[in-house]
Amino acid sequence: MEPFFVYENSGSEPRNGVTDAALQPCVCVADRPCDAGSPALEGYRPPEDAEVVSRLRRAGIPIRGAVGMSEFGFGLRGGSAGRAAAAGAAQAELMLDLTGESRAAAAALGLWGFKAGYGSVSRRGLIGLVPSMEAPGILARNPAVIRKVLQALSGPDGKDYSQPADEEPDFVPRGIVPDTTVIGVVAESLAGLSPDELAAFRSAVEELRRRGFPIRELSLPGYELFPLVHRIAASVEASSSAGRYDSVRYGTRASAGENWNEMFLQTRGEVFGPLIKSLLLQGAYFQFRRFESYRDACRIRSRLLGELRALEDRADFLLLPSPGQAPAAEPDDLDGLYRRFASTLFANVAGLPALYLPGKGGTGGCQLAAPRLQGPRLLELGEYLDNSPKGD
Amino acid sequence: MQHSRRVFCGSLTPEDAGRRVTLAGWVDAFRDHGGVLFVHLRDRSGIVQIVFNPESTPDGVFHRASLLRAEYCIAVQGRVDRRLPGTENPGIETGSIEVFVDELEILSESEALPFTVSEKAMTAFGAGAKTDHVAEDLRLQYRYLDLRRPSMRDNIMARHAIFQRLRRLLDGKGFLEIETPVLTISTPEGARDYLVPSRVHPGNFYALPQSPQLFKQLLMIGGMERYFQFARCFRDEDLRPNRQPEFTQLDIEASFIDEEFIYQLVEELAVEMFALGGITLPRPFPRMSWNEAMEKTGSDRPDLRFGLLFEDVTSIFADTGYSIFRRILQGGGRIKGINIAGQSEKLSKNVLQNEYAKEIAPSFGARGMTWMRMEGGKLESNIVQFMSPREREGLVRQFRAVDGDVLIMVADTSPAVLASALGQLRLHLANRLGLIPADLYRPLWVTDFPLFEPAEGGGVTSSHHPFTAPDRTDFDPADRDELLTLRSRSYDLVMNGEELGGGSIRISDRNLQRRIFTALGLTEEEIQAKFGFFLRAFDFGVPPHGGIALGMDRTVSMILNTPSIREVIAFPKNRSAYCPLTGAPSTVRREQLAELGLLGAGKKEVLPGPADGEDEVERLSWVSRIRVLPGERREIEETLRRAEALARQAEERAGDEEPVFSPAPAANRLRDGGEARTPDPAAAEKLLKLSPSVKGNYYKVPGILD
Repeated sequence: MEPFFVYENSGSEPRNGVTDAALQPCVCVADRPCDAGSPALEGYRPPEDAEVVSRLRRAGIPIRGAVGMSEFGFGLRGGSAGRAAAAGAAQAELMLDLTGESRAAAAALGLWGFKAGYGSVSRRGLIGLVPSMEAPGILARNPAVIRKVLQALSGPDGKDYSQPADEEPDFVPRGIVPDTTVIGVVAESLAGLSPDELAAFRSAVEELRRRGFPIRELSLPGYELFPLVHRIAASVEASSSAGRYDSVRYGTRASAGENWNEMFLQTRGEVFGPLIKSLLLQGAYFQFRRFESYRDACRIRSRLLGELRALEDRADFLLLPSPGQAPAAEPDDLDGLYRRFASTLFANVAGLPALYLPGKGGTGGCQLAAPRLQGPRLLELGEYLDNSPKGD
Repeated sequence: MQHSRRVFCGSLTPEDAGRRVTLAGWVDAFRDHGGVLFVHLRDRSGIVQIVFNPESTPDGVFHRASLLRAEYCIAVQGRVDRRLPGTENPGIETGSIEVFVDELEILSESEALPFTVSEKAMTAFGAGAKTDHVAEDLRLQYRYLDLRRPSMRDNIMARHAIFQRLRRLLDGKGFLEIETPVLTISTPEGARDYLVPSRVHPGNFYALPQSPQLFKQLLMIGGMERYFQFARCFRDEDLRPNRQPEFTQLDIEASFIDEEFIYQLVEELAVEMFALGGITLPRPFPRMSWNEAMEKTGSDRPDLRFGLLFEDVTSIFADTGYSIFRRILQGGGRIKGINIAGQSEKLSKNVLQNEYAKEIAPSFGARGMTWMRMEGGKLESNIVQFMSPREREGLVRQFRAVDGDVLIMVADTSPAVLASALGQLRLHLANRLGLIPADLYRPLWVTDFPLFEPAEGGGVTSSHHPFTAPDRTDFDPADRDELLTLRSRSYDLVMNGEELGGGSIRISDRNLQRRIFTALGLTEEEIQAKFGFFLRAFDFGVPPHGGIALGMDRTVSMILNTPSIREVIAFPKNRSAYCPLTGAPSTVRREQLAELGLLGAGKKEVLPGPADGEDEVERLSWVSRIRVLPGERREIEETLRRAEALARQAEERAGDEEPVFSPAPAANRLRDGGEARTPDPAAAEKLLKLSPSVKGNYYKVPGILD
């Protein structure tokens, strides 16, 4: 079959409307390789399924196999995110969204990409890196598939100790009435867009307006601070999370080392790539040299969450710019990476569900976001936009 | 019940028989003897037995009495009566009487006790409870209960009596009791200061006094002439078993006096204090120069309860053929020994050779130890054959050795090592051979200490403190060798090998004081910075003065013969300088630190950059256990530079919001009774296939980790 599968399953037939799904190998499937794209986990075969895998199985969605992923899913360099879905090898792809990877991968391949709201999907059995920022992402050729997969995955998991105490999500369709569905546009999100990007965004706004949605211009004064918060908080979390990888029970182990400490030092020096290494050492810097900066970042995060909550009364959904076209090469340095994901970070920092809508003819596209627990509603809007005739 | 009519339990005597009394106190112990309730009622004055008899005690009272438990606080009324012959209890002061109770008020109840308070048996031949086995930290945690125990009460009351006696004596001699500040400035004593941050002057600190040294001298300059104080002193020293971070000393200073005044005064005080413990000290106390103490006992606080004084036998071996001695003498060394008279039977050849010579003496720093025994008028040992007849005769003569004596000798080129090693051997032997008589107290004045000690890296440092007067004033402050020969006009009071206190005649001449500072290598700026205010006082007519300080905790402990000084302190710290009762020292709120300016600029403590001489990348690489490989370093340095900019930016942009660490708080899923997850062992086995495997009780470690 297609070369992008790390491993393939065969056999069971779909019972659900969704025929099958591919995974990234950061999702634990019992006894299947699960290295999260890193030599640090080479040879790791989880003893049991992740909660999302159990739920897919229960929903009758066969797991087609796992595709290549970037190191710990941070950025898109070195992975093949979305290609299985784009090539039709699987109807949906499940991946981790740390900085906007699912939406950016979708944008690069003309797919629909969805990042779940923080806490709405169990993360037990997902190998993560930046716990407060990441959430499962789903890619597919149309939002209806995404919605079905999300419905299968959503809901409380008593064994996920990081999950908030949210209500069971509501997937009952309420119908979309354009006249009364206010779409907010964050003025600050347009600063720094290239003329092409700006034009694409404007045409998306016009499209929605033509379909009868009221557009309201809103202000989010702290918008420019999303990257700052993400860069500090995510690196501190990553430095902590990656501390467990010692290559003792699994993983590539360096051949040198006279004692444990030397072995850890050398091994971890070899297994982490340049991008992750920069992230982890930067996290160590914040923790050991400037711990206040982490608290400062979390204070700013608190303010940003407040500003976003205030917008919930003024608009039902937010419309934000597209992650843009894929660059010639995915960045392998932190600065480049944060430039690449500048327009998607808000949803990770704020824990919002966000949906990438592909533009027509492979151009443009935009993101829609909703309050944290409104993922199903956001996908309903996606389906509405996908189905309703587009005015030309 | 009227407390005003209360009489004290311990004050009752057989003469009170028939009297009706009101008593109050705590239930020390109780027993039910054939329906009659006997209770030991304890107050500070002592214990008396009170009796509840169903035939004479009203029903209601008897019922309430049956509910009494240990350490209930109660008040009773009743009639004093002599006990029947044969039922007396000599274990308590009031053992020949008891009180028949007809009224009882339970003032307050007590919970079950963490340890037994009662120490006195209720019957003539019963055994009282022992508290020796109670962990000291538990006693300190419940010190208020511990203080109820008669033995602790006695200690505290004895301490009070000693302090009051001293006050009266000193008052009678014209001494004024004057308090000096506790919040003060660092003084030039040896130990570390406890510091107290000042809120009003951020970044500045008071120091708690290590002693009121400067203030008591200023009181003399202030014309107070005679001063004393029970001063609380604080030293942040390394922990030692019998030391407290704060302690009480009797601080004395007087003007227009000399050493003789201090000797007479302190001897009188000591005799009176020890008399309160039933100990007679003969006056005058002997005196010994520091030199002699070191020569004879190897210690500056000699224990004179036993002999075993050193003899210097260097000259006997001036031309010796015994190679070990010869080499040490050629190196300028000396040979000293002790005659352990009449102990030949207890010190076998095996003990002397295999224990003392091979193990104990080397552990005290000696290079070796030579031993001999007098038998049949001759010296016997494994080395006697190497000594000439003249040397052997010389030893017998100098040690006045007779049959049954054991001689030990140590030779060393360093006088300090020799004194220390032989001095410790002296104490070790005295303890081992039981040569220290119990109940013997041998006070001693040690005088004429060296004024200076050699400082590390050249120069000199004060042995005591820089205000101590030297024995002569015609010295050259630049001549280090001469400075080291100077003696001070100081004196220590030593009792049974323990230093109880010390002091000196102070310098009262400003020029002499300056020359001492010069000798210590202090520049004019340093002198001004450290002692400016003090030296200024010397410009205005200083009387000759001197004084002494006695460590009261140790002195009281010695008088009462308690196993530690904590037994004579109401609320001591434990051996770790921690108070189990209050939990001091404790952390404080961040706000308190901020208010005191201890967090830098209030909200944040930003210490950017690595410490001196530390490489940032190496440091972070190490704490992260991630090696930065060749070729990656520049990229990482660049990342850290950006990170610093980010940190600064975050600091600028952060407000006062409460930080949030994730978009929504995690639910508490640990409480409700979910089942514990037990992974399949077979799966775990697979997971661990690379890990160290178990063989028997050991881990087999992969080669990489060997």
